[in-house]
Amino acid sequence: MSSLSAANSRGTSGPTAEALSLEGVRKTFGSTIAVQDLDLEAQAGELVALLGPSGCGKTTTLRMVAGFEMPDAGSIRIGETEVTHLPSHKRNLGMVFQNYSLFPHRNVAENIAFGLRMAGVGRAERENRVAEMLDLVRLPGRGDMYPAQLSGGQQQRVALARSLVVNPKVLLLDEPLGALDKSLRESMQFEIRGMQQRLGITTLLVTHDQEEALSMADKVAVMSNGRILQIGQPNDIYDRPTSRFVAEFLGTSNIFEGKASADGKQLILSGRGGDIAVPLERQVQPSGSLMLSVRPERMRLGPDQGSGVNFEARIIGAVFRGNYAAYQLDVPALGRELFVYRQADGPLGAVSFRLGDVLKLGWAPEDAVPVSP
Amino acid sequence: MTIEFTAPKAKPAALLRPWALVVPAVLFLLVFFVVPLVENGLRSVVNDAGGFTLSRYGQLLTDSFYLRVTAETVLLSAGVTLISIVIGYPVAYFLVRRSGRWAGLIIFLLIAPLLTSIIMRTFGWQVLFARRGLVNNVLVDQLGLIDAPLRFSNSPEIAVAALVHVLVPFMVLSIATVLQSIDLRLEESAKILGAGRFRTFWEVTLPLSLDGVGTGAILVFMIANGSFVTLVLLGGGLQTLPLMIYQQFNTTRDFGMASAMSTILLVIAVVCLFLQLRLVRRRGS
Repeated sequence: MSSLSAANSRGTSGPTAEALSLEGVRKTFGSTIAVQDLDLEAQAGELVALLGPSGCGKTTTLRMVAGFEMPDAGSIRIGETEVTHLPSHKRNLGMVFQNYSLFPHRNVAENIAFGLRMAGVGRAERENRVAEMLDLVRLPGRGDMYPAQLSGGQQQRVALARSLVVNPKVLLLDEPLGALDKSLRESMQFEIRGMQQRLGITTLLVTHDQEEALSMADKVAVMSNGRILQIGQPNDIYDRPTSRFVAEFLGTSNIFEGKASADGKQLILSGRGGDIAVPLERQVQPSGSLMLSVRPERMRLGPDQGSGVNFEARIIGAVFRGNYAAYQLDVPALGRELFVYRQADGPLGAVSFRLGDVLKLGWAPEDAVPVSP
Repeated sequence: MTIEFTAPKAKPAALLRPWALVVPAVLFLLVFFVVPLVENGLRSVVNDAGGFTLSRYGQLLTDSFYLRVTAETVLLSAGVTLISIVIGYPVAYFLVRRSGRWAGLIIFLLIAPLLTSIIMRTFGWQVLFARRGLVNNVLVDQLGLIDAPLRFSNSPEIAVAALVHVLVPFMVLSIATVLQSIDLRLEESAKILGAGRFRTFWEVTLPLSLDGVGTGAILVFMIANGSFVTLVLLGGGLQTLPLMIYQQFNTTRDFGMASAMSTILLVIAVVCLFLQLRLVRRRGS
């Protein structure tokens, strides 16, 4: 059949993973710049997450890859093929929407078979493939049900099956777990990630949920104001944020703003009682303005002084979060508050510190990361 | 019957109970709708001597003349409905999907004709297509395309055109309401799965908007079915039930026959409504 021609491998089986690359992509709506000069590369089989607050341009980027929006400049390629101006239906993509967007007038099997039917796959093969997919997403025998009869998680899995059955070259996930409750979200994260890795399909995930991005992606790209601020492996980007925005958007951060000392080996903070020098891990440009980020879980808190930086601090807020405790501390020397997380590791039922406790707070120089403002 | 010695507490006065709110409407309908309807029905089965008879219905349902009138009524309404769908759907689609900030203006233009009385609009058509009306004047004098004025008026096509003109806004608004509610992401889903624009429309948009088409169709069909003024003024030889009823009352003064005809008309309308409800309910499940 013509559907099996080289021009359209849709509906055929076999590995179809291809790299996705965006180069200098730009999109404006009226006078608003939604995406500016964006470069992004997802290797074949990789899951890349676009992470950012709403309005940062991540959804517009996804919609340009999908072909729902045309970029004003730049190019989008899937494998060797330039698709920048190709209509959506010729791009060989799969997509899962936040609200799943299952066709309400068609049953589960018809929903899943839709893409195959569009590709001209015959009825017998269609039925086989649909049954296969229903098994894969653990919904065997549910083909006759209508979307409205399924739970949110089940609809999600049908949407996934519908997008994967056509062996898309790239899978697009638009806030795929946004509508699920927390416990289901976690198990779906594993399920989608597992399936994506098994099928080795190149995937672009858009989310505003940092936990989702960190736990599912090979690479996370943090976006703000239409640009990618930082891109890298989840642990890299979390531990070594290069900008204040990334440090604060991805998790929580204590930011210290000051000046580098004349020898470039210390950060000079202006405290309540005068300047305070904080040792740095690495020498920096002398006398320049400097910003440091220290994660709350990297802060040291206890009755005794440790190596590196030390301050006296009083607990003014304590929140129990199950696996860890979050403390808000007042540091008189700095005239400001800091946040510290402590892993729950004492005896069961015990509380490490109480409100009003005066303790020593500090961090090792290697746990403080210089960030740009 | 029990007698209560203690007054029940916190029971609102009869006037304030929820059901009391519908009493005025029910009374009004009872007096001005149900009673006349029953009376009308009775009149159709009572003969001149005061006895019971079904002969009028027998005549209406067997006499080829009356059957032809009924058929013509239904065919006219169906035709008007069909043309309204063909004209109304694209307008509704444009209104919802393409008009952008002009949507308000288009809706106003759609509704504006409804602000003038139906008689005025019908006369308008008459003026346009009269023997020395605008259309003939342009064709004969200005353009010289034809030698003699065409006999438009009193041809059924003009009546159909006038009915469509009156009824298309109902169709457009019914379809537009439903089109408006279709999630665009459903269409995007179809596109990303390989459906081009036409197939997306055929597979997703059209099926999901059928409820609106159904509502519009039943509305247009029922109004066309009972239309009278337009057909009196532009009828063009069409014989429909409302026209016959008018004749029975005014010319023949056979009230019984007129009542029987209106019952037939009512039954047609109710059957259509029932079919549509069935359709909507089945699809909605």
